[in-house]
Amino acid sequence: MVGIAFISHKGDAVSQDLTQASHQQIGAKVGDFRLATLGGTTICLKTLLEGKRGAVVVFWSAVCSHCVRYDGFLNALVERCPALGFLAVASRSGETAEQIRAAVQQRKLLFPIALDPGSLVARLWCTQQTPRAFLVDADGLLLFRGALDNYRYPGDIEYAAYLEPAIAQFLSRSPITKTETASFGCAIDSVYYKFPRAL
Amino acid sequence: MTASLFPFFTLPARILRAGLSPLTAVLDGAQSNGPNPTASNLPSELMEAGLVTINNGLQSIQSALSTAAGQPHGKPLTAPPLEGPGDLDSAASEFANRMARIFRFTPFEPVELAAALKKTFSAARISFGHIDQAERSRAVFPIQIALSFGTLLVQQMLRVLVSYEMVGAEKYPRFITDFLESFTDTPIYIALEYDALIENYEKRLVLRPDDAATRVELGRTQIKCGLHEQAAATLLQAAGDPSVRALALHEAAVALHRAGKLDDAARIGSNALAANPGNERARAWLWLTAQKLGGYPAFIPASHRMQMNVGHEQPTVEFEDIAARIGLDKTSGGRGVAVFDYNNDGLLDVAIACAHGGCNLYRNNGDGTFTDVSISSGLDTAVNPFIITVGDYNNDGYADLFITRLGFYVGEGQLFRNNGDGTFTDVTAQAGLKVWGPAFSASWVDYDCDGFLDLFIANNIGGLFDRKTPNRLFHNNGDGTFTEVAEEAGLSTLWPTIGSTWGDYNNDGYPDLFLSNALGKSQLYRNNGDGTFTDVSAEANINENCFGSVSLWCDYDNDGLLDIVQFTWSDHENVIHTMRHGEGPPDGKPARIYHNNGDGTFTLRGRDIGLTGCWGTMSGNAGDFNNDGNIDLALGNGSPRMDRLEPPILLENDGKRFRNITFAAGLPFGGKGHGVNMADLFGDGRLSVLVASGGAYPGDLLTTRVFCPKRLPGNYLNVRLVGTTSNRSAIGARICLEADGRKQYRDVSGGTNFGCLPFEQHFGLAAAQKVDSLQIRWPSGLVERFTGLPINDTVRFTEGKSGWERPYQK
Repeated sequence: MVGIAFISHKGDAVSQDLTQASHQQIGAKVGDFRLATLGGTTICLKTLLEGKRGAVVVFWSAVCSHCVRYDGFLNALVERCPALGFLAVASRSGETAEQIRAAVQQRKLLFPIALDPGSLVARLWCTQQTPRAFLVDADGLLLFRGALDNYRYPGDIEYAAYLEPAIAQFLSRSPITKTETASFGCAIDSVYYKFPRAL
Repeated sequence: MTASLFPFFTLPARILRAGLSPLTAVLDGAQSNGPNPTASNLPSELMEAGLVTINNGLQSIQSALSTAAGQPHGKPLTAPPLEGPGDLDSAASEFANRMARIFRFTPFEPVELAAALKKTFSAARISFGHIDQAERSRAVFPIQIALSFGTLLVQQMLRVLVSYEMVGAEKYPRFITDFLESFTDTPIYIALEYDALIENYEKRLVLRPDDAATRVELGRTQIKCGLHEQAAATLLQAAGDPSVRALALHEAAVALHRAGKLDDAARIGSNALAANPGNERARAWLWLTAQKLGGYPAFIPASHRMQMNVGHEQPTVEFEDIAARIGLDKTSGGRGVAVFDYNNDGLLDVAIACAHGGCNLYRNNGDGTFTDVSISSGLDTAVNPFIITVGDYNNDGYADLFITRLGFYVGEGQLFRNNGDGTFTDVTAQAGLKVWGPAFSASWVDYDCDGFLDLFIANNIGGLFDRKTPNRLFHNNGDGTFTEVAEEAGLSTLWPTIGSTWGDYNNDGYPDLFLSNALGKSQLYRNNGDGTFTDVSAEANINENCFGSVSLWCDYDNDGLLDIVQFTWSDHENVIHTMRHGEGPPDGKPARIYHNNGDGTFTLRGRDIGLTGCWGTMSGNAGDFNNDGNIDLALGNGSPRMDRLEPPILLENDGKRFRNITFAAGLPFGGKGHGVNMADLFGDGRLSVLVASGGAYPGDLLTTRVFCPKRLPGNYLNVRLVGTTSNRSAIGARICLEADGRKQYRDVSGGTNFGCLPFEQHFGLAAAQKVDSLQIRWPSGLVERFTGLPINDTVRFTEGKSGWERPYQK
């Protein structure tokens, strides 16, 4: 039994079962979802995985400065890894489709984005901050979750990539050596977002 | 200066300096009186006392007016004021904080006047709009407003006076500018409003593309957001303007370094120094870049180079960073680190808090690795955690956690009850521990020795113009709930508190409290044993102002009397001075030890025992990492500024003095350390030093490091205690171990601020082949003595039960 979160085309939560959320484990099946995309279609885990060897799901926010840093990487990832489905899930509390559209246009984002207005999928996938990446296989089994890298730049001698090697090992059918890392980033929900604006 | 943000940004410091001139004249005159510190401090002491008296007087009038008007007396908040402040004092502070941001972010130009006025009205509406209408319509309300701003002003003057005295005239403008920047930035970055800031700068640059100062601020904001490549481009463009060239180049070097473009960072950093040869921050940053490059590139002239002249003393132990190997390499804005056994399997587990992320719990697998169990434990839901403190408050045998938020900003505390099945439940509300405030540290203590752990929360200030939020003492009722008793206990203070630590300095069986205040005097409260405390700072000779950081009690000289280790925060220039000259400047304030004289007084020790370096210490802890029987120190250092990285520091105690062995022992040169902890993670006698790293801004993320001794540096014994009559965690117990005719003392602590040490007490035995005896004084008063103990092992004692046992099988 895995949890499931369904979001209507309009973005309203229509049903949810988050009881299993805290049991999300590496090697186990992740929770299913049905979300509206920014383009107006609907996407679920099954359609994301259709004809693919697996998928990368990244919880993402238009305003999160940590996410901005990975624009180029995520844009390229979709083209570089056609064997994988890719979806960015915009779960941040209070973020609107208009704000996301504006970011897509301004930052020339090419990757598909789904809207998670009630942060239900984020909760189902035990995600508290953005960006947080997940790699699942064609059966929806969780292979990796965590940060994309250690927030250094590739030119830095201390740089360590996390998602990239996990993808490479998966695609080459090798065991994934680092299946989990802590995440960092902007909180998906925070009491500080609810105060009157500081500026 | 161009007509833009930059001159305005430095204006507050100039105004403050001008406003302070009469005060500084008095102080400077006093300081020239001669070497007698008592005489030289007299005018500031008098002014300080006068301001405290005025503040108390105004507060008394405020209180009397409220009583006369039938208004309820203000109580600390238990929930976030989402709509806006509901009481006058908070509203006045909110308004002042908002005005500070308007002051900083609005260009100082006539055309901006209308916008500034509009923002001011908006600030007033947000700040005062939620005070009850009935309150506002009372006749005394205008007087109450005046009194409220009066107490706020007096408290600010007190802070300015004390900080000025410590920093001095020359460095004060820069100090206050840095301070203003940090505090005005915090709410913007916490609420993710930096996009609006960037947009404002960009709009302004569209209208005034030649406004180089605004371009610099845009670049600096991009660095804070971690957009280092963009920032470098922005700043290099700004550097074309001579009026900002030096600053822009320095910041560009910071951005390039952080973007991993080290050759460019070195070249631009050198250009920054050529533009301003006096910029020591640029020199230090260039040095840091050179270390990553393996040395200075040949094109860097000798005049731009520096040497690290500290940290090279001969170590008796060498370390290696094993964080990635064992799975503790968490990248984040690292904060508190707690080491404890959450699942009672005998192995020490690790919890790491961080800004810009959640709380992580790592289970010790017993094979030298850790598994992240944050999600299954439920602790991943604690977002923006700051300090984690461990204690079994319900005596069920499982360690519970209290977590504070942010420390330099407001937030809620959370109590997580350990369910004993690997999960934790948030029981804050049902325990009566709902708090909202700038809690920096928290510690568990059984202050009345009733067998149940009480909770102390030390509050800092959450905004530049915030009043002191009272520290809190919650008495454990023994039924899973707590009752606030701080006021009755006599624990009120005016100073913003960072470090708080409990220890029985007079050996009367009751834990006493030391407060390390962010600025101002530190305070020692003697526990009277009847639920009240007396401030004995003056009679104990604890009366020197400093930028206090975390603190701890320990018996560093093994004389059976608890001493106080107080870490301090120093400004960047003093840190660089330490790096270059091997010690802090004469007017700097390094970490200090208040040596317990055994008669209720303390003697300030510091430079005379090797504590010579000025660091921006945010976290520190004590433990015998070389197993020689003397307690050593580890410091985590930093500041919010993006151009400031400084190393963690290891100070080896050779029994006479502390020796800085940092780099010789294999630690790195740069970092921003917070949660420093020491623990024998593998039960093999090697005490690892854990350092959670990272800064306040989202772009300042670093990776947790775990420095483990490469070899066992000496024999050891690890000791664990289980209370029965006493609190189960045995917090407050004192252990005396005798080996080779030498005694060592350890107290079980309920939290040493950023690093919550394990309850397990690690004794280094050097070459001793046996333990002669071990005596335990339990918080209940019971004293037990044991002999025939093993060495190089971990043993556990249960109160009132003869013998010992091993907590786990190796």
